Amino acid sequence: MSQSKLSAYKKPAGLLPMNIMKPSMQTSELMSALVDGQLGGENFAAALQACRHDESAIASWNTYHLIGDVLRSSGFGVRGADSAFVSRLNQRLAQETLLGAVPRSVDPDWAAPAKGIGASEPTHRRDPASNDANFRWRLVAGVASLAAVSAIAWNASGLLVTTSAPQLAQTPAPQQLVVASPQGPMVRDARLEELLAAHKQLGGTSALQESSGFLRNATFETPQNAGR
Amino acid sequence: MNFKLFRLAVFAMWGLLATNYVAAQVSSAVKASALPTTEATAGEPRSINDWLMRMHEASRSRAYVGTFVVSSGGAMSSAKIWHVCEGNQQVERVETLTGAPRSIFRHNDQVVTFMPDQKVVRSEKRESLGLFPELLQSTDSRIADFYSVRREGAERVAGVEADVIVLLPKDNMRFGYRVWTEQKKGLVVKLQTLDTDGKVLEQAAFSELQLDAPVKMDKLIQMMGKVEGYRVERPVLVKTTASAEGWILKAPVAGFKPVSCYRRPAAAANAVTGEDPLQWVFSDGLASVSIFVESFDRLRHDKEASLSLGATQTITRQLDAYWLTVMGEVPMTTLRLFASGLEHKK
Repeated sequence: MSQSKLSAYKKPAGLLPMNIMKPSMQTSELMSALVDGQLGGENFAAALQACRHDESAIASWNTYHLIGDVLRSSGFGVRGADSAFVSRLNQRLAQETLLGAVPRSVDPDWAAPAKGIGASEPTHRRDPASNDANFRWRLVAGVASLAAVSAIAWNASGLLVTTSAPQLAQTPAPQQLVVASPQGPMVRDARLEELLAAHKQLGGTSALQESSGFLRNATFETPQNAGR
Repeated sequence: MNFKLFRLAVFAMWGLLATNYVAAQVSSAVKASALPTTEATAGEPRSINDWLMRMHEASRSRAYVGTFVVSSGGAMSSAKIWHVCEGNQQVERVETLTGAPRSIFRHNDQVVTFMPDQKVVRSEKRESLGLFPELLQSTDSRIADFYSVRREGAERVAGVEADVIVLLPKDNMRFGYRVWTEQKKGLVVKLQTLDTDGKVLEQAAFSELQLDAPVKMDKLIQMMGKVEGYRVERPVLVKTTASAEGWILKAPVAGFKPVSCYRRPAAAANAVTGEDPLQWVFSDGLASVSIFVESFDRLRHDKEASLSLGATQTITRQLDAYWLTVMGEVPMTTLRLFASGLEHKK
């Protein structure tokens, strides 16, 4: 969040209790606490004041709600709302309703910026399900599960490294490969691949070898992991 | 008066017929006395050896650049080919276009394979590449005993006019081949391997071909020597004889003569099993069969199987304390004859 905006904002003296929030606190922290429902009373009012004067505060608000939505509704494609549209909507709503917020569950697409911005609300309590103290834990859980999935994928990709073409100097562990053949799917192992290469290399004693056999053997490499 | 005319007419006709007959005899005598050359005289069919010799010579006398496509057992691979020859020297370069990238260079019988993905170069001498003319000119030229040739027509392949010939096996123990050879010099432009029913098992063909292309031999040889950054492998094959190893084929399979026998190099991981596998190669002139013998290992050798990949058939089988793998471009029944005829004596 921009420091310049913060410096422009002059806190009313004595408004913020020292034991909860430092006066030099960032707008984003304020918004975060507000979204978490951790502010009460004067802090809350201060937060709302910030919202009114600071555009970045509203942006943070939108962001936090968006994060909360994404974590709660798994897989739901939540899009950020257009802030200009939202502000116009808010004005319309403020005109139409005097108290009570628009129920959050109406359209999650809006990421509920309509709630709480109306300054006429003296108190603002969240539903337990919408944005409770578990938010940060959910974020941690999300990151942890992402890390776990990537670790598993990394290990799996290590196992899937394909073996090289059969070489005479190697003896790879016998791996079973299934390939299609006229007799149906056949199982071939890597050892057999080696022998096939050896046969092509030395067994090509044929009148056709120099005219086309060598080219054929050089061109064609038997498929390694053909799982047809 | 009428009778005189009649006799005159009869004499005339007889004279014409006689000269015609004589002329026909003379011309056919002339044809028959002509030495069989690789250039076909009108109406005279080439023998199978002629065709094979012609194909072999063409690959030693024409330079070309082309794209070669092989399709076998449902899989298809292609490669770009450069081929140049000068006198007795031949150099070829094959760049695979499918699967793992490989650059294979051949200078006569020296073959260098670059594997850029593993940074390994394999350099080896392939004896089978120098063998052909001796194979054909030896006194037991067995190819004609087991295959017959027939010209099927002409077709245009990869932009060149080609003769289509079929090499048909005379028994059921081998496969047939349909070969397209370019009409001017006989370069093989397409080859099909046919099974005993005439079905195509495998096909190798040029999809495009530029004959007499300006390929520089010294440039290719230079590329062949660029091994910086690569680990060079020189697989050592120990040449031996089957009898020295204690193996005989008690019932020889018709047409197939033993060609060579090798001990393959033991890999470091293979040191556990101790023995190097043995490879015994047989050939009937067109097809070849390899018998691989290893010590029987209960862990690895659990299943006797018969597999087929394109034209190559394989049988694996246990024989006493040994594991046999018999592999070749022949029908399965022929492989079974090999496997059952093998005997270890010691």
